[in-house]
Amino acid sequence: MDFLNALVALSNFVLIPAIAYGSQLALGALGVTLIYGILRFSNFAHGDTMAFGAMVTILFTWWFQSMGISIHPLPTALLALPFGIVVTAMLLILTDRTVYRFYRRVKAKPIVFVMASMGVMFIMNGVVRFIIGPGDQRFADGERFIIRARDFKNATGLNEGLAFKTSQGITIVTAIIVVAVLFWFLNRTRTGKSMRAFSDNEDLALLSGINPERVVMITWIIVAALITIAGTLYGLDKTFKPFTYFQLLLPIFASAIVGGLGNPLGAIAGGFVIAFSEVTITYAWKKVAVYLLPESLEPSGLVQLMSTDYKFAVSFVILIVVLLIKPTGLFKGQSV
Amino acid sequence: MSGNPYQDDRGNKDASIVNPKGSGTLVSATGTGHEMHTQEAFLIGDSMTGGYGKSGPDILHDCTIAVDKGEIAVIVGPNGAGKSTGMKAVFGMLNLRQGSVRLGGEDITDLSPQARVRKGMGFVPQTHNIFTSMTVEENLEMGGFIREDDIQDTIEQVYELFPILRDKRNQPAGELSGGQRQQVAVGRALMTKPTVLMLDEPTAGVSPIVMDELFDRIIEVARTGISILMVEQNARQALEIADKGYVLVQGSNAHTGSGKDLLADPEVRQSFLGG
Repeated sequence: MDFLNALVALSNFVLIPAIAYGSQLALGALGVTLIYGILRFSNFAHGDTMAFGAMVTILFTWWFQSMGISIHPLPTALLALPFGIVVTAMLLILTDRTVYRFYRRVKAKPIVFVMASMGVMFIMNGVVRFIIGPGDQRFADGERFIIRARDFKNATGLNEGLAFKTSQGITIVTAIIVVAVLFWFLNRTRTGKSMRAFSDNEDLALLSGINPERVVMITWIIVAALITIAGTLYGLDKTFKPFTYFQLLLPIFASAIVGGLGNPLGAIAGGFVIAFSEVTITYAWKKVAVYLLPESLEPSGLVQLMSTDYKFAVSFVILIVVLLIKPTGLFKGQSV
Repeated sequence: MSGNPYQDDRGNKDASIVNPKGSGTLVSATGTGHEMHTQEAFLIGDSMTGGYGKSGPDILHDCTIAVDKGEIAVIVGPNGAGKSTGMKAVFGMLNLRQGSVRLGGEDITDLSPQARVRKGMGFVPQTHNIFTSMTVEENLEMGGFIREDDIQDTIEQVYELFPILRDKRNQPAGELSGGQRQQVAVGRALMTKPTVLMLDEPTAGVSPIVMDELFDRIIEVARTGISILMVEQNARQALEIADKGYVLVQGSNAHTGSGKDLLADPEVRQSFLGG
């Protein structure tokens, strides 16, 4: 019984939140890794573009809510998501036309792109705050839980409850669908293969008649879809606040690098590695320990390795360790 | 006029016995003694002069390279002679200041390399000539990217030409051996059904046995009516299969002739083939 209780507590506080968080990071990291592979730079505006995508989705959600449109028990945000993706894609293509295309034309070194993306980051940052404000925004509706803690306790007779939020369920299911579609696209379709070819060897892709401008545009559209979905899911799961999204940049970059930059599979693995490390290191293990250990060994403290305030330090440390020991990342990515 | 004893001017000033005024000095040239056929050459880089970048020094000086339909033309020469540069000039990757490039009589001097691919030129660079992270079959598919029609037949033809590729079709091209990678590279270039195939040192870094096999395959490709223009380090073997050979020295044509003639030419043998 104690063992089951420990398992439930572990699932409730570590496994499920980490899987949901990992899915969100993986979607974000996929975007970073695609841009790195095809445009050959690390996009610092990623976090704020994510905030923009989530913001547009939230505005559409509010509009739909005010008109009484809903898909109960699912959150209305899912209905608004396609509109958010379209607007974000338009913004990204506009950014590319006004900023990045110039640097491509003059064949600027990737570091110039990185610096330009920082400028884009600041502008995007300002735009989002200007439109929706710097504070927290609530937009979640629909059924809040798939499994409630109390129902779970009543049903199983265990001391520990297991809560499974709708947002977590949606996050995991959406992430699986999105990743499956993306991999099918990259590995099976002509356009997807041309993107991989362009990432592999730009000169040869040109000689094969692949149009770089088209590849770049499709990349931005896919990235818009990925980060709008990731941003909206994160907002549903936790809360929407522009600054949080800016901070997400670090774990997302860490995920992409840990997995191996330029490798989509690595981005997903990296996302889960970072999420699980963050959650397990900042989780107070006392509850689980009490169930598993004999009474004499019962810990007096919280058995928390690090306060949640320091969760970003975890991504930082993993990032540094990976760069020192295996600079290409867990999967065979391009060397950093 | 030295060297000709009849032209010695000594004692030739006495106008009482010779009339020096008004005698003819015009000498007509003897010509090269053989026809060049540059007018009807299928692909020709005609008297090309140029270098890299907008203002880089000239590397090619009045260099002419031509190939006829179904022929194999080989460019050989010492290191730094501008062999690869000459080929790049024909493919539009070098800024020409003089001269022209014509394909089937059409002037393509101002076209980009991509546009030349659409005109029917295939190019296999010396390095980075395959998509290493993609499978052999995907490499071939990407080679035929510009084609709107069904490319499956052409893939079959490439597999017939290079049977080993059929066995390795689902393997990433980067994991293949040097010789197999070159086969993938040539196969990829053949996917556009080119009329001219340009190869930049196809046998660089492969073993002698593989080299012979590659040359055999190249002859087979030429037999299907595709013209081949090739830069080679292994001058002797390359000239043996060449219909036409160009020896470049410092960016200029030094010797031109059929492969057999060049191999027999004592000067070419001594300078470039090691005796």
